[in-house]
Amino acid sequence: MGPYRLGVDIGSTFTDLVLIDESTGRPSMLKVPTTPRDPAAAVRQGVQALLAAERLAFGDVSIFVHGTTLALNTVIERSGAQVGLIVTRGYRDLLELRRLRLRDPQNFNADRPSPLVPRRLVREVSERMLADGSVYVPLNAGEVAIAARDLEAEGCTAFAICFLHAYANSSHEQMARTVVEEICPGAYVCTSHEVWPQRREYERCSAAVINTYVGGRLKSYFTRLESELRRLGLTAPLLSTKSNGGVMTARTAGERPIETVFSGPAAGVIGASYLARMIGEERVITLDMGGTSADVSVINGGYTFSTDASAGDFPIILPAIDISSIGAGGGSIAWTDAMGVLKVGPRSAGASPGPACYGQGGTEPTVTDAYVTLGIIDPDWFLGGTMPLKKGLAVDALATLGDVLGQTAQEVAWNVLQVATAKMFAQFAPLMARHGVDPRDYAILAYGGAGPTHVFMLAREVGVGKVIIPSLPGGLCALGCLVADLRADFVHTWNRKLGPASVADLAEAFRDLESQAHRWVATEDFPVAAVRYERTAEMRYAGQSFELSVPLDEIDISDILVRFHARYHAVYGYADPDAPVEVVDIRVQVVGETIKPQLQIPTREGGPALLGDRSILFEGTPMRVPVFDRKRLTAGAAFSGPAIVEQYDSTTFVPPGFRVRTDHRGNLIGEVE
Amino acid sequence: MKLQSDRILIEIFRNRFQAIADEMAVVILRTGHTVFVKETGDFGAALISESGEVFAAPVSVGVTIMVGLPMAEALRRSRLLGEDEGDVFIANDPHLTRGMATHLSDIFLWKPIFHEGKPVCYAVAFIHSSDIGGRVAGSIAPSNYEIFQEGLRIPPTKFLERGEVNREFLELFLLNVRIPEQNWGDLKALLTGLSTAERRIKDLITRYGAAAVQDRIRGVLDYAEAEARAIITRVPDGTYTFWDYMEGDQFGGGVVRIKLHLRVEGSDLHLDFSETDPQVRFAINMPTYSQRGHWMVAFGVVNWLRTTAPGITYNAGLVRPVHLHIPEGNLLNPDERAAVGVRAATMFRIADTISGALAQALPEEIPAAGSGQGSILLISTPDPATGKTRVSVVQPLAGGSGARPTKDGIDGIDFLMGYLRNIPTEVIEAEMSGVLVLGYALRQDSAGPGRWRGGTGIELELQVFPPYATITNRGMERYIFRPWGRMDGAPGEKGRTSLNPGTEREQDIGKIDVLSLEPGDVLYLATQGGGGYGNPLDRDPDRVREDVINGLVSTAQAGDVYGVIVQNGNVNEAATVRERVILRRQQLPGGAFGFGPERLAYEERWPDTLQTALNEAVAPYPVPLRSFLRDRTVRLAEARAERGEKISVRMLQELIAEVRRSLTQHRGTGGDAAQRGSC
Repeated sequence: MGPYRLGVDIGSTFTDLVLIDESTGRPSMLKVPTTPRDPAAAVRQGVQALLAAERLAFGDVSIFVHGTTLALNTVIERSGAQVGLIVTRGYRDLLELRRLRLRDPQNFNADRPSPLVPRRLVREVSERMLADGSVYVPLNAGEVAIAARDLEAEGCTAFAICFLHAYANSSHEQMARTVVEEICPGAYVCTSHEVWPQRREYERCSAAVINTYVGGRLKSYFTRLESELRRLGLTAPLLSTKSNGGVMTARTAGERPIETVFSGPAAGVIGASYLARMIGEERVITLDMGGTSADVSVINGGYTFSTDASAGDFPIILPAIDISSIGAGGGSIAWTDAMGVLKVGPRSAGASPGPACYGQGGTEPTVTDAYVTLGIIDPDWFLGGTMPLKKGLAVDALATLGDVLGQTAQEVAWNVLQVATAKMFAQFAPLMARHGVDPRDYAILAYGGAGPTHVFMLAREVGVGKVIIPSLPGGLCALGCLVADLRADFVHTWNRKLGPASVADLAEAFRDLESQAHRWVATEDFPVAAVRYERTAEMRYAGQSFELSVPLDEIDISDILVRFHARYHAVYGYADPDAPVEVVDIRVQVVGETIKPQLQIPTREGGPALLGDRSILFEGTPMRVPVFDRKRLTAGAAFSGPAIVEQYDSTTFVPPGFRVRTDHRGNLIGEVE
Repeated sequence: MKLQSDRILIEIFRNRFQAIADEMAVVILRTGHTVFVKETGDFGAALISESGEVFAAPVSVGVTIMVGLPMAEALRRSRLLGEDEGDVFIANDPHLTRGMATHLSDIFLWKPIFHEGKPVCYAVAFIHSSDIGGRVAGSIAPSNYEIFQEGLRIPPTKFLERGEVNREFLELFLLNVRIPEQNWGDLKALLTGLSTAERRIKDLITRYGAAAVQDRIRGVLDYAEAEARAIITRVPDGTYTFWDYMEGDQFGGGVVRIKLHLRVEGSDLHLDFSETDPQVRFAINMPTYSQRGHWMVAFGVVNWLRTTAPGITYNAGLVRPVHLHIPEGNLLNPDERAAVGVRAATMFRIADTISGALAQALPEEIPAAGSGQGSILLISTPDPATGKTRVSVVQPLAGGSGARPTKDGIDGIDFLMGYLRNIPTEVIEAEMSGVLVLGYALRQDSAGPGRWRGGTGIELELQVFPPYATITNRGMERYIFRPWGRMDGAPGEKGRTSLNPGTEREQDIGKIDVLSLEPGDVLYLATQGGGGYGNPLDRDPDRVREDVINGLVSTAQAGDVYGVIVQNGNVNEAATVRERVILRRQQLPGGAFGFGPERLAYEERWPDTLQTALNEAVAPYPVPLRSFLRDRTVRLAEARAERGEKISVRMLQELIAEVRRSLTQHRGTGGDAAQRGSC
């Protein structure tokens, strides 16, 4: 027995823990309520409870991987440090102007978000680099010193430095950093080229500011958590998940907290993709639906990355697993407008007060109340019976809409699900078009508390013929923590035309990035099975204003032009082999492959899987629906919809038209009949 | 008004239609070729009912303001040509589509979607082509004075016949444009988008049946109309009059007035522009053909509806209550020969005019005027390596938005231009060797003061080193009159352009047509601040202090205009009270609108009645003569006003007669030939 890997994911409602026995692959899981004031408290308490239940000690844990939304919450709640920003003269308004565009220019009440650093805490200094990295105006260190003193006097405890063209020559930023550190010893100081040395001053500055804004808080959080866990006897390395789906040591996370911003949802996609690969599914759309959001991601052999994600009001251009929201989840509120038309969302009851049936004071009907009213969710069996729901409150809440619509609460509940599904469809279909994906070629893998409940209804609507429900739908983010690789991204803005002479230079630039990447893996000091480098070049025809990502999987890049033209043709349907080509940015992602546990779902508990049946209203007709107990479904067990499958962390609803079987790993596989 | 369809299905179909429109736009974005598609998103897509109304349009991708696209005439013509399954039609001519297209650069394709041999509905998509032929590269130039200079005119034509491309047409088209491959690429992107929509509509028909789909199309249109009418009904009945100006001084046109009588009758809005100036001999005319709810006019109304009800159903139902009254020959309903390329600038000013009229009906809901400029600063330099000229976008230039009745305007960007992205300095400098952007920041003291201040304008300073560099900046406006304030709020600063500021060679150069620069020249451009709302003396002193410590308002302006004395970052409260008492005593009575001294002085010379009288006096003449008579008369009258004379109706009549005489001297006396259009 053992050793044991422990994965912990702190969500907005629950902190999920998954423990895997490395020798047997057997997982065990626990959910405890998140403690927003002091997130480490829930972690500590959950770990102690889970270890106690498994009769283990801290010393039995071989790896501790942990994901937190603390960085994201700090940005969203605007509860970070008072940051002072030092910029190139003439650019005081980098953060104010952003990229100009308004999110909703047709709404006269729209606002541009106010920046994390107010204008009065931005100081300009004399210095100027040119695009080629040459010095046009030398840095005036005296002005930096004055700025640092001023800002410190204004109460700044952290400093971000962003100079124009620092991606091409970082020496001024480095000099300024030294000056600031001398004047304000102990302050958190961060320069733009260290965080992400890519051309585009607003986005680079924003990344540096976010990292600075959350830096102090995250650093002390990780330090404190580590020392507490060590005190309790943990000897294993402590890792943190990253937005790019990888992991890094907690120490690195304290330096680069910006990389933890999307780590929770990213870990879910990693977990989903790990399961999909185990059962030979290459093309999967993940659906993570919980109480406050419904998120999807596309896996086509590998993950898709995005460089335009947003943390609250701010863009983050560091690569992150590409995840998009298609709705507000089980907490979405149903209502009727002045004309009596039934609407769902965009308002959500969130985690607090939550749906009416939670009995925490919510009175507005939500999607979850519709599940309960229809009989899809058994109110007494929510979270394995540990959190009973109040069906009466759900029915009452929906009945208020029934009065307007002239329908019973049950009818309203069904219609709420219809409208919610149509709204998800409205986001889902254009999103797939953006990815260039025909969903009919894909399976949907659903997780999160409400994912298994809603996925078949969505699949019917979007024409997906195959649905996968993993055995631990509520623990996929925590599981993802345990199967992630060490992963880090490096970028260099190269910005030159590509000719026979410059290909050699480009190869050299790639080698530089790879040696940085190599150093990173070495410093992380964590055992890996293999290291690989994934190279991409952002390329375009000279004069174009947008780039195409060209993956370069060989070390030899001499055929890079051929690859570019081929890729261009594949995407746009034509190519111009005679036109000059530019390389704008080059990227390397290093992957240190960790040794993965072989997940094995234990032999099912004995006894009949069929618990009984319930009457639900489906498409206006009442029908008797059999209810199965997930943990008693053995491999090969099969049934047709309509059916309900109950388990500790979720309820699966299978409408008529789908046939479901249990595979030998404990997944439910649903297919159109 | 009754909702035809079941109220549950309405919401489901509304979402399904929306998904199709959005998906169509995404497909075009993904597969389109030209810069306009990728960078500025100047393309659009929509689903059209049998009656020619937009029943779904994208809300987040491409041009998202097109619910009032008038398609009835285009559909009438495609039906005349014969519609078959697999057919796609093309057109770009404003006249032959009665305002579906509004300039030649927008190429429209539409496709009937069939079920059992009958069209159920249509999908339409357009793209702003970077070149459609004509006098200048890029096709659009403000100085164009007739449509024939603006490119190839395409009447409604069958482009795909049962899925086969009309090769003869394609060849003719591609021969007449400067970038044939890119245009063909963009057309293919539109075709892909239309096919996507067709497939999705057919999925819906398979699931719900054609009759049900058509019923829901009518249902969602009626639903949006009901939502719009419920909002409009709140507006007190009455006629609200407002006018605003465009600046044609570079083209000899002086200022051009857009005048609106907004008549509110129950839940209907009548937009009467009949007293707007006649069409002009440069490219700001807008061919609306006075179509009900035309999108380039109704834009201002739709924005207001969407502000009032952010989740409102987005289709042509919203503009059914919006009726236009625009006689032919008007700036907003010109004859078919008029140049229309830069009509977007006109659209912005129409939106301001509608705001001004609505503001009188709903004083608590409508913002003051925003900067009103959305210009694109271009630089062209010879590439030293190839010797070819290279044209690049430096920056879109807009200014601050107008103050809102409950909050400040937005700094540096206006709603009308709110979809634009700026270009990073690091990209500009990497791509244009020898161009340095010395500064790009908010403009201090430019915001219109008020209880709520306008958004500040922007300052851009660049230094240009290559020889023979030239700058153009199409769409500069509000250099003569300021963005207006509201309810005792002051107007924002005007735009300003200067060359080599702070040196002996400093020169105020105003609006740019084409500007040649010497190596090393520094060009400074400052955009307008939005107008203020409410009396600046009522602004919370703490907000003034915030603006002062953030550097957006100078200590001097804080004292002189707001009466707030800020010392060492703190408000001196006693001094502030004293100062505000003094200023309040000196303050002239404000009013619903603060136009600023320049416009007041102009209207002192040219009161409303006189402007209307001039337009009436020249109205009987044919279009070219009308412009000539009007422009010359204005110039002569201004010259007399400068000598101290007061302009009057009688003076204008004399001057018109004088100008006419000068045209007919070669004929001797008598006769009235000129009036019959021999010019």
